[in-house]
Amino acid sequence: MDDSLLVDVEGLHFSRGEKEIFRGLDLQVPRGKITAIMGPSGTGKTTLLKLIGGQLYPDAGRVRIAGQDVHRLPRRTLFRLRRRMGMLFQSGALFSDLSVYENVAFPLRVHTDLPEAMIRDIVLMKLEAVGLRGARALMPSELSGGMLRRVALARAIALDPELILYDEPFVGQDPISMGVLVQLIKTVNQALGLTAVVVSHDIKETLSIADYVYVISDGQVMAHGTPATLNVDQDDRVRQFIHGEPDGPVPFHYPAPDYFTDIMTGRASS
Amino acid sequence: MSHEHARRRGASRRQPVRQIMALGRGTLDMIDALGRAGLFLMLSCLGIPSREGIRLWLRQMHFVGVMSLAIVLVSGLFIGMVLALQGYTILVDFGAEDALGQMVALSLLRELAPVVSALLFAGRAGSALTAEIGLMKATEQLTSMEMIGVDPLRRVIAPRLWAGFVSLPLLTIGFSVVGIWGGYLVGVEWLGVFEGSYWSNMQGSVGFVADIGNGLIKSLVFAMVVTWIAVFQGYDLIPTSEGISRATTRTVVYSSLAILGLDFVLTAMMFGEIG
Ligand SMILES: Nc1ncnc2c1ncn2[C@@H]1O[C@H](COP(=O)(O)OP(=O)(O)O)[C@@H](O)[C@H]1O
Ligand SMILES: [Mg+2]
Repeated sequence: MDDSLLVDVEGLHFSRGEKEIFRGLDLQVPRGKITAIMGPSGTGKTTLLKLIGGQLYPDAGRVRIAGQDVHRLPRRTLFRLRRRMGMLFQSGALFSDLSVYENVAFPLRVHTDLPEAMIRDIVLMKLEAVGLRGARALMPSELSGGMLRRVALARAIALDPELILYDEPFVGQDPISMGVLVQLIKTVNQALGLTAVVVSHDIKETLSIADYVYVISDGQVMAHGTPATLNVDQDDRVRQFIHGEPDGPVPFHYPAPDYFTDIMTGRASS
Repeated sequence: MSHEHARRRGASRRQPVRQIMALGRGTLDMIDALGRAGLFLMLSCLGIPSREGIRLWLRQMHFVGVMSLAIVLVSGLFIGMVLALQGYTILVDFGAEDALGQMVALSLLRELAPVVSALLFAGRAGSALTAEIGLMKATEQLTSMEMIGVDPLRRVIAPRLWAGFVSLPLLTIGFSVVGIWGGYLVGVEWLGVFEGSYWSNMQGSVGFVADIGNGLIKSLVFAMVVTWIAVFQGYDLIPTSEGISRATTRTVVYSSLAILGLDFVLTAMMFGEIG
């Protein structure tokens, strides 16, 4: 297997109930790069990250991380593998009953037997990296959305993982914290040599940091390439998504009967 | 017109089939949910608690138990007082008001303390547990814990289950004690029943195993059922605000029905042969 690949997804199929979310998804994440996965809301981006993290099991296909098939691993080995991954959740997902300090210390306490003084040094170092060393005594409920995500980032990198998965890091951020987060993701990737997967539908920000981009739609990869090639892609669907056009191959209207007939029949539901 | 008619008849012929199908699907769904809930209970409760686990359990004892203390004690006081008042008006007709202590104590220990405490507990602590765990699920705290490599069943669920199991029987004891005292206030202090007979009648008639023991067994059963329902509803809900509010309602409804139904079954088993 190619050693420069950290994550390799092959022929992934996954359904929730009747709904097919993935039907034969293939994508590769090279080591040390920022790979973006983009697609409209509800296409299954969060689901994909959970499949990569081994929390959901695919109906068919496989996900390999550093050559190991995630879904074939015994529980113990899976947990050891997860130590090498950090995940930044859409909502931050800080533990609401623990302070900022304790949140960042949590993975260290779980996975290491380090003495308290050492834990403290690491926690303060990680908080310093996201600019929130001064906020260590606060509770998650006292933080703004942008700060929450930065603390979550500090927690995700506490164990110095090789791979970090970001779920919609830019959603609902004001322009300043958006800029801060873009900068942080880039820094973490370059300074620590981390491999990053960024899942997002914020096109501009994502294209500005990604080395390689996958656009998914209808459970498959619709297009992939570097940001530069995607920007000039002539495919209608890719253009519509990348340039944010409201109507195109992905229709603005939810399927409906003819407008005129609908109005004339005068029924509220048909 | 006739076409419309025929269609309607066709639909009505299919109706019973569809109902049977729905019944079958409902039954399967229920068995599935019960299976998941049982597995969930086993996975959370089994295993040796660590020192960290005991610390988390004590914390939950505070949230689940201490927070329900006030409402349980106040209700116990009122129920004891009402029992004495009602009991007195009946007993005095037979000249048997000396038996008031016995009546108050037996009603409380066997029936009212376990049942009313459990109902209050379901409303106060059970709904809060469901909402809290549901919110942790909705904000992805449970998933992120799992990603960090900690099993949320052990860390989040187990301490809450054990806290519920232990605290409701303790609350029930508190309810009985305060209720008997409330009965004393009304019966002896206010209505003038002889104090000696209030207590001695009670002492003479209350059996340690038959009454106190059985009452505690009931409350232990209620504790397990209510906490299990509350915690499972929180863990299993659909993580949206609507999902959380529905699950919270379900906790209170299912718990109340389970308490009252089980109370009948347990009473029949424990005291059935007396009559
Ligand atoms: N726990 C769940 N149970 C059932 N369906 C779900 C669940 N989570 C997500 N879905 C559905 O799966 C689809 C993909 O969801 P998601 O991965 O969250 O999309 P995205 O992150 O791209 O917005 C959605 O249609 C969503 O409704
Ligand atoms: Mg998502």
